[in-house]
Amino acid sequence: MTDTIEKRLGTLFWVAVGWLAVISLLAIFAPLLPIKDPDAYYLVKGVRPPYSPSGTHWFGTDQDARDMFARTIYGARVSLVIGFVAIAFGMLVGGTAGIIAGYLRGRTDKLISFIFIVFLSFPSLVLAILITALLDRGLVTIALTLGVLAVAPVGRLARASTLSFAEREFVTAARAIGAGDRRIIIRELLPNVVVPMGALALLGMAVAIVAEGGLAFLGLSVEKGSTWGKLILFGAGSRELEKSPWIAFGPIIILFITVLALNYAGDRIRSYFDVKEIGL
Amino acid sequence: MNYWVQRLTASVMLLLAVSMLTFGAMNLLGDPLFNILGPAAADTKPESLEKVAAAKELYHLDRPLPERYVRWLGDMVTGDFGVQFGSTGQPPVSNLIAERFPRSLTLIVMAQLLASMIAIPWALITAARANRPADRVSTINSFLLIAMPNFALAVILKYIFGIKLGWFPLTFKATDPWLTRIYQTFLPALTIALPAAAVYQRLLRTDLITTLQEDFILMARSKGVSRRRVLLRHALRPSLFSFITVFGINTGALIGGSLIVESIFRIPGLGSAIVEAILREDFPIVLAIVMIITTAFVLVNVVVDIVYTLIDPRVKR
Amino acid sequence: MRSSSSHRPFRRLGAVLATAGLVVTACGGSDDSEPAAEPAAESASEPASEPAEEPAGDDTLGETETDVTLPPDDDADSIFGGTLRYGLEADVNGLNPTSSALAASGLMMANAVYDTLAVYDENDVSTPHLAESFTPNDTLTTWTMKLREGITFHDGTPLNAEAVLVNFNAQRGDPLVGLAIMPFFPADDTAAIAVDDLTIEFNVNFPIADFGSILTGQLGMVASPTWIAAAKEDPTLNQAPVGTGPFVFDSRSEDSVTRFVRNEEWWGGDVYLDAVEFYPVTDGDDRNSLLFNGDLDALHTTNQASILDLVDNADYQTIIDDTGEESYAMMNTAIPPFDDIRARQALAHATPIEEYVELIGLGVSRRATQRFTPESINYNPDLVQVGNDPDTAVALVAEYCEERGEETNPLLGTTTCTDGKINVELQWSGPSVVQTRIAELLDEAWSVGFNVTFQELPQDAHVLQTAIGQYNVNTWRQFGAVDVWTDNVWLLCATINPAGLSLNWPRNCDEDRDALLFQATAMSDLEARAEVLKQAEALINEAFTYVFFTHTTWVNSFADNVRGVCDHTSAGGERMRCAVSGRTWFSKVWIE
Repeated sequence: MTDTIEKRLGTLFWVAVGWLAVISLLAIFAPLLPIKDPDAYYLVKGVRPPYSPSGTHWFGTDQDARDMFARTIYGARVSLVIGFVAIAFGMLVGGTAGIIAGYLRGRTDKLISFIFIVFLSFPSLVLAILITALLDRGLVTIALTLGVLAVAPVGRLARASTLSFAEREFVTAARAIGAGDRRIIIRELLPNVVVPMGALALLGMAVAIVAEGGLAFLGLSVEKGSTWGKLILFGAGSRELEKSPWIAFGPIIILFITVLALNYAGDRIRSYFDVKEIGL
Repeated sequence: MNYWVQRLTASVMLLLAVSMLTFGAMNLLGDPLFNILGPAAADTKPESLEKVAAAKELYHLDRPLPERYVRWLGDMVTGDFGVQFGSTGQPPVSNLIAERFPRSLTLIVMAQLLASMIAIPWALITAARANRPADRVSTINSFLLIAMPNFALAVILKYIFGIKLGWFPLTFKATDPWLTRIYQTFLPALTIALPAAAVYQRLLRTDLITTLQEDFILMARSKGVSRRRVLLRHALRPSLFSFITVFGINTGALIGGSLIVESIFRIPGLGSAIVEAILREDFPIVLAIVMIITTAFVLVNVVVDIVYTLIDPRVKR
Repeated sequence: MRSSSSHRPFRRLGAVLATAGLVVTACGGSDDSEPAAEPAAESASEPASEPAEEPAGDDTLGETETDVTLPPDDDADSIFGGTLRYGLEADVNGLNPTSSALAASGLMMANAVYDTLAVYDENDVSTPHLAESFTPNDTLTTWTMKLREGITFHDGTPLNAEAVLVNFNAQRGDPLVGLAIMPFFPADDTAAIAVDDLTIEFNVNFPIADFGSILTGQLGMVASPTWIAAAKEDPTLNQAPVGTGPFVFDSRSEDSVTRFVRNEEWWGGDVYLDAVEFYPVTDGDDRNSLLFNGDLDALHTTNQASILDLVDNADYQTIIDDTGEESYAMMNTAIPPFDDIRARQALAHATPIEEYVELIGLGVSRRATQRFTPESINYNPDLVQVGNDPDTAVALVAEYCEERGEETNPLLGTTTCTDGKINVELQWSGPSVVQTRIAELLDEAWSVGFNVTFQELPQDAHVLQTAIGQYNVNTWRQFGAVDVWTDNVWLLCATINPAGLSLNWPRNCDEDRDALLFQATAMSDLEARAEVLKQAEALINEAFTYVFFTHTTWVNSFADNVRGVCDHTSAGGERMRCAVSGRTWFSKVWIE
């Protein structure tokens, strides 16, 4: 059985998952790791930063002589957390709403769908900027804002999935033996809907991380602390790119690989389960 | 006909909902009086109190929120976007829009053109060589492009073409002649175009491959029509549907998504205007641009639908 | 935490600051001041591409005097014609001196279209310009200003006492602009009286030795009263100014370019240039590139990295002037914790000034201990700006928290101390990469004794919060006046308004200091005055309300073919001070 799965999912899939595991572990255990302090200024007297990559500073330093490798690892903490919370919120709220809409149909469905469409038509970045600018820029606000933006796409998928499953024989069968709505939703639909949503979770997390980066580029990400977006912004000025490109490119590479891994893994899971469906 | 009426109603309701959301958010979370008057609103001198009273009357700030909303809506529908709170003398918002809209439009049109110009040949080539090494490499490339965050891509392109190679300027000057401005808009347009092209290419390729397996293609080939002719003349057109649909929908997404690119490349378009306006809490500008963007989005979707109906004889309405 | 009412944007406060003859940019920090939303990296990082061994010292401008002027060009060679393209750090909302926020950029544009009643000569003393003379009474409390005959505005309206009064009263009536001049003039009509068609009598609240200096900046700009009235009716006219100046407004596209053309009938003489065009370019590096490419003929900047590039380049004439503003961290003494001097001292001792000077100043901006540069006659060599002393800071924090740790910080809603460290909020104006770097630099060092919360606000909101005293500590930039007494407005007890807007930002009242400042204002003997100012400066130092970082370096750079850059003269024929806080004049400029 494991062989079949592996053959379908592919070794590259496991490489991607491996990377994600590594980056998550690094992020979680960052304070315990023997890496430099991300906030410390490693000024060498008489030599003005930024210092290029070397044995002491693997990713070099930024204009203030702070170690870029450490900053990138610590940046992962915030970026990954935001991505995770955002998509978790989206799945919780959006998924629930979508399943309910898809199952109950009728007016509830119309209402919920309408709300989804409103949010989908609203230029999402503008909404994010609006909320963060008017409220505050704490970690929680930003994560929840992006979560709110995730609700509609997730919900729409959940609804579509539910719609397609709700007509299936096992649901009609369950209803025939007298199972209540709630039981049907939880025991029959949910397990099936969760699978495509799982794939979406990975893809959604990638989107959320990128969205946070976008906010950072407009100067609207978390006020204190580093995120990948902020780190890249600090390194993205014309002068920095010309003289010290490593400041931006260290985080860009790590961000890109992570987003790539998330996209790839999500994609593989989706096609794997699709294929499996056809096989049924 | 019924369908179009439904469509229209839905679109209008959508726009209303979006406007209510934005209006409510700005007025409840922000502070209109201070946005308009600045510190005079807190001053107790008689001249300032006069100004406060005048502003309250002019902008109906004493009225309840729903009433203010309806007034604003009425103005907006007749084309009166209000005045810019933040600028001395408060010039009308429409001035700002008129000045900035063409720049954003140029950016998006250029981006979509570039994307199509890249995607179509790319798709044709990879479809013709399906599953061969070149195709596999291309699949990887398009995947990479789609995964790359747009700001990171902007930085990379800026670095390679703007700094290392120096082919493109890094500044935008609105007073330059039209042609120079096109040149300046190229790099930002490319930033938007590349990921879009990858998406289009993937879709088009899949559809092309499917089409190439159809009977009428085999017929044409058996009649001796060359591969290239078959590809271009017979296979391309029927395969365009998904591409067109996504192209249309994407235009809507691009309108909102060009924000970051405009900010990074410092193009004074609607995107950068709305970012600045939000930070300054300049409500009328924010509301106006949100409505424009959303309207454009809705319009584009409708147009896509129409086009789809027209070109695909299989779709009956 | 913070209610929504505290996020009020505050427009035009800049006009307040500018009115007193000062440069605005009250957003603090040492990068180019930006209007809200400068998202792309605006950084001041170093450009050295040499291998790592190169010592930083080679890049400094050194402790030598800065070149504040250029040698005169021979007027005989002057050619008529050409357009001067000037790059500015920001655009402005409008150019009405009675209601617009004019920072360095706005004042530069205003220099083209307006004349001021007085200007500074090469010795930093005011000399009449649009006015013909200033005559004081014996007690220096009444100044009679006589205007020149026969001058008209660009729209034909004659310049007379009535016109000046319209301007003066409009500015006084503006809630922001008026705030800056409130301490100097009585509140009623006796402040300025028209004696006859060309004479105005100004009455001031205290003896002022050099009254003209307050009329060298925005307050001294005279706009056509016809236009002022029209602009009140139709506010879009604020974008199309009408003055008496050497150039007439031609066209304007906000955020893009503002164009002025030669005033053929300028009362001050021949104007060589056909036109002057101003281009706002917020990024310092971009501005430099445009100059180097030949897309601009001149620019101004405070961006250290840009300055290094300009100074190294022999093809450009560069004026370097750091006698103006200072950058510093500023504390609010009206609310805890900084109502206690120990907390203020602790913050000062903990501040990483050396790192700031190195990383942000980049060897371009000199370290500051006070408002004056070492070359100034008013410089007090005994003063020390403490910093880089975490041990003393920790001791002071411990003492403070022991005694007052249970009180409330009204801004944060927490106790003043948590876990033995003082809770403070650091505020600054952004979005700006440099400002964020500064905040992080300060936070890292202050963390030995302080728990720092960050609050980044758009510039307008930041200025407002500071003006109403809703901050603990922020990064700021001030004290750019050529004539010192006009800076008093930031220091006097009289400009503290406990309930509302206060120009004495730290809200620190010292009556002894006030007395010294008033005394100095009335003295014309510069040497004697210097002694008094040194004492006042010492009192400022002892109050620990400011932690001085650097003297802001303003640089104006011109292409080689731009001549007559510093040759502008007052109407009386005196050579004017070439640049004041980043702005120059164009009346005698020609292009080869």
